[in-house]
Amino acid sequence: MAVEIVMPRLGWTMEEGTLVEWIKQDGDTVEPGDILFVVESDKALNEVEAFDAGIFRIPPDSDVVGKLLPVGALLAYIVEPGEEPPFEKAASASPTTTPSASASVVPTPVIAAPSNAPASNGERSNGLPAISPRAKRVAGELGVDWMTLKGSGRTGRIVERDVRAAAQTRPAAARVSPVARRAADDLGVNVDALAAQLPGQRIMREAVERAAAQPAPALTTADETRTPIPRLRQVIAERMAASAHTTAAVTLTTEVDATDLVRVRTSLKAAGEIDARPVPTYNDLLAKLVAETLADHPQLNARFDGDSIVTARAVHMGLAVDTERGLFVPVIRDVQAKTVRQIAVESAALIAQVRAGSVGPEALSGGTFTITNLGPYEIDAFTPIINLPQCAILGVGRIVAKQVVIDAEAERVAIRHMMFLSLTFDHRLVDGAPAARFLQQVKRFIEQPYLWLVN
Amino acid sequence: MRELTFTAAAREALAEEMARDPSIFVVGEGVGARGGNFNTTTGLYELYGPMRLRDTPIVERGFIGMCTGAAMTGTRPVVDFMFVDFILDAMGELINQVAKIQYMSSGRLKMPLVLRGSIGISGASATHHSGSYFPMFVNIPGFRVVVPTNAYDAKGLFKTALRGDDPVIFLEHKALLNAKAQVPEEEYFIPFGQAAIVREGTQATAVAVGSMVRRTLEACEALAGEGISIEVIDPRTLAPLDIATILQSVHKTGRLLIVDETFAPCGIGAEIAAQVAAHGFDDLDAPIQRLNGVYTPTPYSPPLEAAVVPNTTQIVQAIRDLLAE
Repeated sequence: MAVEIVMPRLGWTMEEGTLVEWIKQDGDTVEPGDILFVVESDKALNEVEAFDAGIFRIPPDSDVVGKLLPVGALLAYIVEPGEEPPFEKAASASPTTTPSASASVVPTPVIAAPSNAPASNGERSNGLPAISPRAKRVAGELGVDWMTLKGSGRTGRIVERDVRAAAQTRPAAARVSPVARRAADDLGVNVDALAAQLPGQRIMREAVERAAAQPAPALTTADETRTPIPRLRQVIAERMAASAHTTAAVTLTTEVDATDLVRVRTSLKAAGEIDARPVPTYNDLLAKLVAETLADHPQLNARFDGDSIVTARAVHMGLAVDTERGLFVPVIRDVQAKTVRQIAVESAALIAQVRAGSVGPEALSGGTFTITNLGPYEIDAFTPIINLPQCAILGVGRIVAKQVVIDAEAERVAIRHMMFLSLTFDHRLVDGAPAARFLQQVKRFIEQPYLWLVN
Repeated sequence: MRELTFTAAAREALAEEMARDPSIFVVGEGVGARGGNFNTTTGLYELYGPMRLRDTPIVERGFIGMCTGAAMTGTRPVVDFMFVDFILDAMGELINQVAKIQYMSSGRLKMPLVLRGSIGISGASATHHSGSYFPMFVNIPGFRVVVPTNAYDAKGLFKTALRGDDPVIFLEHKALLNAKAQVPEEEYFIPFGQAAIVREGTQATAVAVGSMVRRTLEACEALAGEGISIEVIDPRTLAPLDIATILQSVHKTGRLLIVDETFAPCGIGAEIAAQVAAHGFDDLDAPIQRLNGVYTPTPYSPPLEAAVVPNTTQIVQAIRDLLAE
């Protein structure tokens, strides 16, 4: 395919330019980055680089040098070796011949034919050497110009080994375009080191400028490590990015008096295990409290599904669990229908499975709401990321004893166990006031845990 | 570890599952007191009697129809075809009912029907007893098509077949039935759709099906002496087909040969080649090649029979040609 070379736009306001001189001449071999010609625009003289490799062809009747030409004016072509540029085709084409006369449909035998097809001397009808798809791919990766190679395949086809052999005999420096080398000198970039770090790429001015802009990270390797992204990290990254990019996340925080919740938990702990079933943790209690609250505020137990909003009756509670491998969110199903003790049994088993790496995919999906607790790490408040497709996530802070004003009139203070809640919700699904009312009810249930007992 | 023949391993799978699940029963010609033409049910009649090892007249379409109905009611029939060539008499029932009933009933009816039989060219069985036919079944949505190549796989795959709810075509190559392999005492299952890399290599990938696995391994062993390193893949199940493992291997080696005793046109090799060309084009350093049996009815004469099946010498040559491409 012939590539058209036109008067480039070298600035936002440039509308025309003068072609000062050709640097490459008609018939020259060019590579990406080679300077083709010089243009004078209203600001300065500019060298114009090639973006493609091939043979540079200027129409014989071209008289553009020294002329003021509009941006986009056709100046020349870059064609593949052996290809006729359009101006020659136009001259040689007669009405009776078509350009692709050699292409024809080869009849396909019903039975696989023995592989003694005639050898093609490694050249295709378009004059290019034959090359395997893999060799072509590797040539691109290693920056090898395969058009000049001799193939060692049975039919003269260029195969992978030919490309690799060529890459070894070709120094990295040869891959640097003249403009890039000059830019590197100006910017103080070690272009040969850069070329060694970017195998298989032709080094153009852009790469040098990028390296100059951030010299340290691009050129040092001793003080950093590079590892492939583990699969779990990829999944977490995709889900976090999807949530951050699609939800309209708003975080509400409120401080809660958890003194009575601490009392409940302390009594449960004192009572000990019953029938070898574990003592409910704060997370288990909170899961139950939140599930009870969601029954009164179902719009936070909802998700988008196509063009509808699906509101779940059951509360499947996700619990964010930190493991050596990364974040997991196992799901306890039908929390609204379970006792706190049942929840404690299930969550203990699930967390153990997650930490052991034996948890199945079904236990990690289908949640309708998520609780994430950073209290153990002495975090007060934070802005959790919504676990899509859910509507909201409740962040739980540490419980800490504080001096609190309990009667301003009487100027009375007391020591109370205080805790911050951070609710992040998706404003696309629910408005601020209903979300605040939800959080308010969670607060009330924590402050007076017996309320949900009779709810 | 103990060694079992292919037939004994598959029979052990059947015996274990029959002991565990009373809804499994076997239907076929000679499966009762005779113990099956290929000893597929030896000893089971004594344990379970004529209700669960049911001899039939020679009327394939009739007993397939009967078993189709039985499977729809929730039992788990195993039909033993002796030679799978005779499954062809029941094609209407198989394709229009067995393969489609789960779809037609929106999944309310299951079709846990296992259809087993011997395949392949071996021992001058002549053309009515030498077919393999698996491309025909792979072409129909609904069937699982299993082609084990050793005793270990035969047991694990047969167990999976007997536990599933889909119709399974379980094909046992005659040339492999007496081949022994290590089979553990403990219970195990091999999932469908998981190819086995039976030999690792770097210069080309050979996908071999059925009895061709063993011959291809022999060919690769011969070539290894010259420093030629070939990866051999046994798909084990053709539907579902584990194309991912094949693509990974081709990504490594750049060259692919498919060795298959059955006919080339519209065969499993054509399917594999098309999928690799579509999804692994930029990994290919040479045209994909197939080596198939000769496109002809199978001759009875032993020398002619041997001439229509790819042999080790031909596989060696095919690999050499592929590497020279």
